[in-house]
Amino acid sequence: MSARGLKGGGRLLAFAGCLIWFVLTMFPLYWIVITSFKTPVSVVDGPTYLPFIDFEPTLNAWRDLFSGNRGQFSSTFLASSLIGVTAAVIATAIGAMAAYALVRFPFRVRLGSAILFFVVALGGYLAGTLWFGLPRAPAMLDAFAAALLLSVLANRLPLPGPVLGNDDIVFWFVSQRMFPPIVAAFALFLMYTEFGRMGFKMVDTYLGLTLAYVAFSLPIVVWLMRDFFAALPIEVEEAAMVDNVPSWRIFTDIVVPMTMPGLIATFMITLAFVWNEFLFALFLTTSKWQTLPILVAGQNSQRGDEWWAISAAALIAIIPMMVMAALLSRLMRSGLLLGAIK
Amino acid sequence: MRNDPIKYFFIWPALLVVLGVSIFPLIYSLTTSFMSFRLVPPTPSRFVGIDNYTSLLQNPRFWNAIGTTSLIAFLSVALQYVIGFTMALALNARVPGEKLFRVGFLLPMLIAPVAVALIARQMFNPTMGPLNHLMTRLGFPNLPYLTETPWALGAIIAVEVWQWTPFVVLMLLAGLQTLPHDVYEAADIENATPWQQFWGITFPMMLPVSVAVVFVRIIESYKIIDTVFVMTGGGPGVSTETLTLFAYQEGFKKFNLGYTSALSFLFLIVITVIGVVYLAILKPYLEKYR
Repeated sequence: MSARGLKGGGRLLAFAGCLIWFVLTMFPLYWIVITSFKTPVSVVDGPTYLPFIDFEPTLNAWRDLFSGNRGQFSSTFLASSLIGVTAAVIATAIGAMAAYALVRFPFRVRLGSAILFFVVALGGYLAGTLWFGLPRAPAMLDAFAAALLLSVLANRLPLPGPVLGNDDIVFWFVSQRMFPPIVAAFALFLMYTEFGRMGFKMVDTYLGLTLAYVAFSLPIVVWLMRDFFAALPIEVEEAAMVDNVPSWRIFTDIVVPMTMPGLIATFMITLAFVWNEFLFALFLTTSKWQTLPILVAGQNSQRGDEWWAISAAALIAIIPMMVMAALLSRLMRSGLLLGAIK
Repeated sequence: MRNDPIKYFFIWPALLVVLGVSIFPLIYSLTTSFMSFRLVPPTPSRFVGIDNYTSLLQNPRFWNAIGTTSLIAFLSVALQYVIGFTMALALNARVPGEKLFRVGFLLPMLIAPVAVALIARQMFNPTMGPLNHLMTRLGFPNLPYLTETPWALGAIIAVEVWQWTPFVVLMLLAGLQTLPHDVYEAADIENATPWQQFWGITFPMMLPVSVAVVFVRIIESYKIIDTVFVMTGGGPGVSTETLTLFAYQEGFKKFNLGYTSALSFLFLIVITVIGVVYLAILKPYLEKYR
């Protein structure tokens, strides 16, 4: 098979292959849609496939779901939406700013000061807890501030060792995605618990989960947006600079409108990531700010084989993303995502 | 490249958030991993050196989790890559119905893995599921899809392939669209068969993209928890337990914090080793085709 046009038998074979995969993709989705309209009896009787012919569809499962006696779906849906949209908006905004800065401005970070940051943060934390007897959270905050201050100052000194440039900073951002999230989720849970002991509740709060999601969406945002910004013609910005337009106005009035499709695509990808995320929500929420994946996963253990209810619950989590997929594929077809994905 | 102090205003918010939320907890759990620290029953934390690490390395459950995770990751990524590449080639060659297929192929990766796993539980149900219906017709009724280790692993891998092949298709398709046409025209003049063209041109030119896609998928697959959590809960026994699930059980069910922190660091080491080895193995090939 070449990468170009197919003829005759090959074309037919490719079509058959795609069709099989398409059916395999669609059948499970079709299945839970029809199952959510089944009655308990028609589920237990064995598999049936065609509504009105094989079985009589009912709205029971959906009525049950919205009446609220199957778990608090409306409030969970609201929590999921609030957290998802806020995290995606903030991550896209500050991630785009950082990506723009990394594309258009030179940065130099001395490896020495980066190492200094880590050493001071670790050492300061240990010193704070072991020698000064501080509780963990304040020790951590103090060490963080000290490390940040010292490393920023040290960056101005002519330290020996290599100097890291923009590409290294981007790599550092993206490499955050490589960390197993369990490391971060678990540590965040411990850290949030410490904050809670200081009287500042973070576990199971809007702020706590949103902050975690913003941080863990930023690598993707920086990665995607960097390609969008790099693809922009620089001449427009240079012309604006000749006219003495301040840099922040160039960004908000010229660059942002020009990359709007990219921003929207990035926003939607981030939203999908946050909406579907399971592990952080599992660790960082307990009841009030639980998100849909947690509630949906809980249906399984609580209700065993009540497929009609489980299917309806799963669909609540799926449908918003399906709507987004439709919008996203619109964007894709116009070739907007091409540059970002390569 | 222009210089303007405003660049710091642009970059610091993102930098601060990522530093604060993702780097600093690492220090916290790194220090915890050298301590004995339990919440239930509450015991004061005490320095134990590398005890947590040694007891983990002697724990067969840990090695089992590594084996299971690796098996799931490598097998499912291999399948995703082969199926995904074939599919991307077909789509790129404008197979009939390409537009419809494109939308359909995109769907699975946008669904929450938890929901996918719930669907899979219904599909794989040994008595009421449609798969059993099909297999009964073929003469194999009531196979233990989720309750016997080899079947359960197969089911998990199938679900991973179902959900993440679209990602591979998406990335490879974007790569295929950037390939130059003139090389193929030259190959046509030389009367190269499509098979030769694939191995001689398409595959080598797609190698950098392929390496990146497979890398991303392997790293992501090692993090698997939600699918397994819902489909088998790690069972039967602990035979389908993945690393993240193991860490969750230790940390959240037993609240054995020092131990879990050590576990998550070993996990980090495993991932790093796999990433480095993978890139080291493929580097010569990448350079050969450059």
